[in-house]
Amino acid sequence: MKGIQEQMRARARELLAQGAVQMVIGWEKGTFWYLSPPAFVTDPEDCDRLVWDEFCTNNLAKYLLDYKHTGDRIALFVKGCDARGIVRLLQDNQIDREKVYLIGIKCPGVKDGRQAAALGEARRGEVPLAEKCRYCTHPEPVLYDELLAGDAAAREAAPGEGRFAEVAKVEAMSPDERYAFWTAAYDRCLRCYACRNVCPACNCRECIFDRSQSGWCGKQMQRSENMFFAITRAMHVAGRCIECGECERVCPEGIPIMALNKKIIKDLNELFGEYEAGVDLEKMPPLGQYKLDDPEEFH
Amino acid sequence: MLKIIRDKLPELLTAWARGARVLVPRERGGTRVFLPWEGEGELALGQGNTLEPPKDLFFPRTETMYRYQVQGKDASLAEEPAADARQVLVGVRSCDAKSLAIMDDAFLTKGYVDEFYRQRRENTRVIALACTEASPTCFCTAFGIDPGRAEGVDVQMWPVEGGYLLEAVTEAGQELLRQAGDLLAEEGDAQPPAAAVPPLQVDVSGVTEKLQRMFEHPYWTAVSRKCLGCGACTYLCPTCYCFDIQGENQGDSGYKFRCWDSCMFSEYTRMAGGHNPRPSKKERLRNRFLHKLQYFPERYGKFACVGCGRCLDRCPVNVDITRVIREVKEVTL
Amino acid sequence: MAEAARVNPLVPQVGRITRIIDETPDVKTFHVTTEAGKPFTPMPGQLAMLSLLDVGEAMFSITSQGLEHLELAIKKVGMLTDALHEAEPGQAVGIRGPYGNGFPVEELKGKDLLFIGGGIGLAPVRSLINYCIEHRQDYGHLWIIYGARSPADLCFKDDLFKNWPQVENCRVDVTVDKGDAEWKGHEGFVPAFVEELHPDPAGKVAITCGPPIMIKFVLQSMEKLGYKDEQIITTLEMRMKCGIGKCGRCNLGSCYVCLDGPVFTLAQLKQLPNEY
Repeated sequence: MKGIQEQMRARARELLAQGAVQMVIGWEKGTFWYLSPPAFVTDPEDCDRLVWDEFCTNNLAKYLLDYKHTGDRIALFVKGCDARGIVRLLQDNQIDREKVYLIGIKCPGVKDGRQAAALGEARRGEVPLAEKCRYCTHPEPVLYDELLAGDAAAREAAPGEGRFAEVAKVEAMSPDERYAFWTAAYDRCLRCYACRNVCPACNCRECIFDRSQSGWCGKQMQRSENMFFAITRAMHVAGRCIECGECERVCPEGIPIMALNKKIIKDLNELFGEYEAGVDLEKMPPLGQYKLDDPEEFH
Repeated sequence: MLKIIRDKLPELLTAWARGARVLVPRERGGTRVFLPWEGEGELALGQGNTLEPPKDLFFPRTETMYRYQVQGKDASLAEEPAADARQVLVGVRSCDAKSLAIMDDAFLTKGYVDEFYRQRRENTRVIALACTEASPTCFCTAFGIDPGRAEGVDVQMWPVEGGYLLEAVTEAGQELLRQAGDLLAEEGDAQPPAAAVPPLQVDVSGVTEKLQRMFEHPYWTAVSRKCLGCGACTYLCPTCYCFDIQGENQGDSGYKFRCWDSCMFSEYTRMAGGHNPRPSKKERLRNRFLHKLQYFPERYGKFACVGCGRCLDRCPVNVDITRVIREVKEVTL
Repeated sequence: MAEAARVNPLVPQVGRITRIIDETPDVKTFHVTTEAGKPFTPMPGQLAMLSLLDVGEAMFSITSQGLEHLELAIKKVGMLTDALHEAEPGQAVGIRGPYGNGFPVEELKGKDLLFIGGGIGLAPVRSLINYCIEHRQDYGHLWIIYGARSPADLCFKDDLFKNWPQVENCRVDVTVDKGDAEWKGHEGFVPAFVEELHPDPAGKVAITCGPPIMIKFVLQSMEKLGYKDEQIITTLEMRMKCGIGKCGRCNLGSCYVCLDGPVFTLAQLKQLPNEY
């Protein structure tokens, strides 16, 4: 994948040197070989920090909100899921398309950092794909200003089956089993809000979970409030979740958050027809529009 | 030195559990945490740390402080019964043991004693487990902590072939070992195994003094860019002790509770009129690092970090305190 | 053996509001007492945690005290203060304290004192003014310069126009940002008014409290007038929850405002991070 990395650095350098953008957001090497966290480069001389490897996992789209109120134009490297995050933010009128320059990367899928840590560097070749990539339907960016060339062609979109396998498992449970499953998961929730903060669909200027005085959700870390948080977050991204899986990856407690998101995606597909969030700028989310033939099942 | 064979350890825990709640690292949902021992099941005393630190057992995520009744203009309140249940905490690593000394400073000194914390702390015996293998994220020795022998504990344990060596450190520890009866055998010539060598090295000398001159430095803008502003680092940190106090009404009555809070959240410092002295993640991240490396040392004479590596292990964007320390020392003023 | 009952500093006493005084359209003074009498005896500048048990709890400065009660002047700014403004005498409240360092009343002895207040910022300063009046022989000249947005927004009008002007060796100057038809006094902002009155720094300590923007400009004016940082005292406001230096949020560097403050000299503040 060297080719991609060299192109990344060269393009970042050019864009910054020309003044076409004021910042480039990509990835750099972190503390360990299996970490490639987000990198923010403002100096053309500093572009060799940027890396492209199988651990460039973080979805970068959300960072654009930090620069929403600056005049800066920002270049962003986008994998398939980063680009879908951008589409989501554009559809929510959160960012200005003119202030973003998107450099697409055909993504071969990233690897699971936690399993990499367990396997050790000697077995780097055996590290499995990240969970979020196993069922990815759009490894190639759906939106970009330029696409990096190279032999690292994106793997073909994963087959659809398996995408809802976790959902099927939970659906097969009895109500009591399902209750036990979700309470066990969310009893662990620390309410650190990493899932919310990383999510490109969670972009409210003021989140109710940052307003404990409002009385909607108590700050107690206990079952009722944790469940209220879990369900509210999931319902709030209904129809807008781009399946980048970042919420589940960043959860320090390993809560299977994507099973909840995918259950809602599956239900929406069944109720309103197939829809993939963040793929087509012109196609509004099913719950973000009104149609005369929408099913009326609000009882 | 006394030894217990591995298979007998559950019996020892059960013996202790007759007079106290015994908490020991166990598997839960794919992670390892301190859970009550109820007489059966697997232990998870292998290499490395629990996902969550044991602070919850002294300073619960959420605890009721008092209950109240309000009727018209009248009101009354009742304090919660004292948290005086005895606890025995087994398998605490040296880093986490040191974190208790840091929590003690925060909760028990400087003019006020936090009664909720004091009750639990005084009623808890701590049994340390030495590290003979470190995790990649460990750096306890940077803070002068010996992974092979914990400070401030009642009993020290070492993993050895086929079992554990135990040594009582305090009188309470001796009493616990007496309760073990013939589960323990004397191993006169046994030597504790060599302590683990943490792979991450960082030299913290001078970092407080450097930070004292760096409050306005642009470094904080750069280092905070990737931060998501979540509270994972603070909630998993064994030395983060910030809390909030809130109430919950249920009709005419209700209760006041305190719960963990995080300096990474906007609401933490936002005042009633809307002013926020730490309005963005830059100020909040800066405060977190300054608290650990400058403010706490200034106030209590020690760093508020024990090198357990939990924040580094779980941060979604690899904000790495060892790297921050190195970079701070390299920054030109 | 049962140990002597410990007092849990985070649990309030239940008291009652015995009297409510309308100061301005959005400020009321609340007299609070308990069945056992005054909840505690604070020093000037100290703080109290006041709560409506089913609404919330917040830190307020104690503006004055009597033999049997504490007085807290409270501006309507949020949920708890809105509810307090709806309350009537007799309402039960929770109260705990006193918290904070208070004004350095011993060090101020023998000095001339200049009090500069704006809006509700007179509330903490008033506790010191009243203390100096009670211990009149210990302190030199008292000069109170106070301003508010409008005549209606002036707090403690009885003190400003009746009580304090009658005190021996005490001067009161009042300004409003904008007067009304009946206002005959000075118009203009507090910092400019201070410069106009140009109180001589010799032998004086200035105590100032008000909205942050006023403090900022007052400090500039004081510097112009030749006041040294050690001669200027102010009190800070931060979000607080525990009041006892534990919960973390009110830190300024390694100080906790609830415990080591809220009263600081400007010289001390300049040693602390500018984060308030």
